[in-house]
Amino acid sequence: MRKFFPVEELARDSRFNQVTMRDRMADPRSALVKDEPRQKSNRLVPSRPDASAAARGLMHGIFVGEIQALEGAGRTCHDFRTAGDSARRAQDDSHGEDSFADTVPFALKLDMARQAWDEARHVEISVKLSDWMGSEIGEFAENTVLFQAACSTDPILRLAGVNRALEGLAIDVFTTMKEFGDLAGDPYLEFCEDWMLADEVTHVKMGSDWLRRVTEHDPDRRKKALEFQSVVDKLFSYGGTRSDSQESPIGLARRFRELAGFTDDEVEDIAEVSLAALEERKASVARMQATAREFAAS
Amino acid sequence: MADPYKPRAPFAPWDRRELPGLFDVEESARRIGNYKWAEMKLFEALGGWVATVPELDVKMRLGTHCYKHAWHAELWHKRLPELREMNPERLTQPANDAMVRFVEAMTEPEAPEQTIEKLVGVYRVFIPHFIAAYTFHKNNTSQITDAPTIRSLQFILQDEFDDWCDGEMLIQSLIETPEEIDRASAHQARLEKLMVEAGGIAGPGSIGGAGAGGAA
Repeated sequence: MRKFFPVEELARDSRFNQVTMRDRMADPRSALVKDEPRQKSNRLVPSRPDASAAARGLMHGIFVGEIQALEGAGRTCHDFRTAGDSARRAQDDSHGEDSFADTVPFALKLDMARQAWDEARHVEISVKLSDWMGSEIGEFAENTVLFQAACSTDPILRLAGVNRALEGLAIDVFTTMKEFGDLAGDPYLEFCEDWMLADEVTHVKMGSDWLRRVTEHDPDRRKKALEFQSVVDKLFSYGGTRSDSQESPIGLARRFRELAGFTDDEVEDIAEVSLAALEERKASVARMQATAREFAAS
Repeated sequence: MADPYKPRAPFAPWDRRELPGLFDVEESARRIGNYKWAEMKLFEALGGWVATVPELDVKMRLGTHCYKHAWHAELWHKRLPELREMNPERLTQPANDAMVRFVEAMTEPEAPEQTIEKLVGVYRVFIPHFIAAYTFHKNNTSQITDAPTIRSLQFILQDEFDDWCDGEMLIQSLIETPEEIDRASAHQARLEKLMVEAGGIAGPGSIGGAGAGGAA
């Protein structure tokens, strides 16, 4: 088995359809792209006219995201060796793949294995919830950008990108879905989201703790990891899907992020990036609408 | 009420645990170091394979089982310093070169069409050998002096039996044609030969016989 696994080769059965992030956001069922007059709030709440379809779409996004998170955690168990693993080192040497950055503490690998189990449960939960909400596997497309963040050859960058940026986003998503379940009078949904939320806080905390511990004496590596996290945060703020603004379908779960080890400054940075992404997308939509009007008038 | 000061036998009549065991401290630590290494290789393989299998149910089971074997490795990692090995990495080693070759061969299948081979290697060869080595250890170590190892072995064996059953059922559900039976059998035979060469998870003597070692 290869040491690093390319995102293009993620194995799926025939029901799955993989697309890019841009394609997914252009899906007419996506929350911000609408032909009807603009609503005051895009937040995913049961009173939204398209709440049912939007919630099903989000749940499908959670489902495929959990599969990729499971795959990413599993790959981190496999791709990096512990410092004392001389047999693996000899094997890596023979393939010309050995480097210092490939070693991780044994306990970090154990945490990643634990995360793999958690993500496997999340796949189980979200597949059952999707069924409960009336949708099926493959009804919405899958974009594989989450796994891409798990493809870094530096384990610390993986932790920053996946555990802090993406699992951080999961905290926001599950908080929004939990509130949706509460408002919709769906205790089944609220119950499940609350359990998954607890796991996500744990995963983000794992990422925060390992990032600090492993880079304690390596400020350059820490800086690089935090920069990578910002890139992933920005990528996942694409289109302003998640921000403090009511115009975003998903809110920023500040309290749970603090529990997971984010500092106040870090939460503020993510809030700013998210709002900027929302404004960027609104400007882009306005430009497209103006072009369409000019075309219609000509 | 019975007199609380009346002398009682230190071992109740139903407690038939024995003091002698087959392994001394060093031998027990050596075996546990081999177990830890093998459990590590197993959880790494299961984690790595998750992305390579298209079958959703298999994908989820591999993720779940990955953690169980990581936990077993953790239990053995914690046991080693209790057996006077203060640097657990020193004993976290394969039993021999044949065991390394076994793991390399087991982890070789990667293509999405090779789920049967992946599962056969783990659930028809590796895990049955874990069960054998652990059962031998549990039944032959001192029931009193090595009770902490026995306790871990009991938890771990329960996991191994559960996972063995899960894996075997997945394999049976995937094999539908005579050609697939041949594929499964050929891969199992190839790996079993390497495992026999290795002598089992802890090398020769893993389930007794030559090289069982230790003090009685």
